[in-house]
Amino acid sequence: MLQGQTMNDTTTKQPGVFRRNPPIAGEAEAILAAQAGDETAFSKLYTLHKRRVYTLCLRMLGNVSEAEDMTQEAFLHLFRKIGSFRGESAFSTWLHRLTVNLVLMHLRKKGLQLVSLEETINPSDEEAPKRDFGSKDQRLTGSVDRVTLERAVAELPPGYRLVFVLHDVEGYEHNEIATMLECSTGNSKSQLHKARLKLRDMLRNPEALGEGAAQ
Amino acid sequence: MTDSNNNKDNVLTCAEFQEQLPQIFAAEGEIGHNPELRGHLATCTNCSSLVRDLEYIAEQARMLLEPTHDPSPDVWSNIQSKLTKDEKPN
Repeated sequence: MLQGQTMNDTTTKQPGVFRRNPPIAGEAEAILAAQAGDETAFSKLYTLHKRRVYTLCLRMLGNVSEAEDMTQEAFLHLFRKIGSFRGESAFSTWLHRLTVNLVLMHLRKKGLQLVSLEETINPSDEEAPKRDFGSKDQRLTGSVDRVTLERAVAELPPGYRLVFVLHDVEGYEHNEIATMLECSTGNSKSQLHKARLKLRDMLRNPEALGEGAAQ
Repeated sequence: MTDSNNNKDNVLTCAEFQEQLPQIFAAEGEIGHNPELRGHLATCTNCSSLVRDLEYIAEQARMLLEPTHDPSPDVWSNIQSKLTKDEKPN
């Protein structure tokens, strides 16, 4: 079982880094063997972590094909660099950070290069969430399932999606996100707020959501 | 200075309250400690509904931490073939 419960698991809120790196049986041995060039160990590490890496890519990119390409890149990068893993952080944390960095690099290459991400992640006025000064009270509480939320997240503008996934799903702090996205912490907070407002708009009208990356 | 639905003890307008929301959410517990914010929330159904929904969305986001998607088998085939190529001497 890849995501087995550990003694450290808890339902209370804590940073994602603690929630996403439970010890995995056989992982330590596989890392040592992979560092020695054992191909079977590569396969074992892929099997242990493919779902986590692919799901992260899919959530950040909102696109199956790009997510598969980035999963491939992440593992190729991992296998080429595994000799440099010294165990100073949990392997899954190391791989998670490596994947996030590769996806961000990919996004910059796609169209964000040479321009500050802070300027380009802001969506257009049409995409921006509406301010709410008097809409009818239509509560979301209890009405949103995982698939619907996943569809809505996939439809967020890229900048909103990145900050929402990194903060609310993956548990990064605003200062970490600001460093990763090369923006201010204020911008990260503002983008997160707009992402949640936009999700609220979409989740109030779930029948309008596409199939998105939930498939 | 106040919205029509605010009483005299609740001096924040909805616009002012919502302006502060990104910071409020980033500093957990701020609403509880700030009488102005608490006062506005107690009397404004619109803003209290908004806050409740945004808190709910943030809570539900944790459902997405669990990885639920597998890449297609092609991904591993491609990785294997690239690793094999890398090993071949030029």
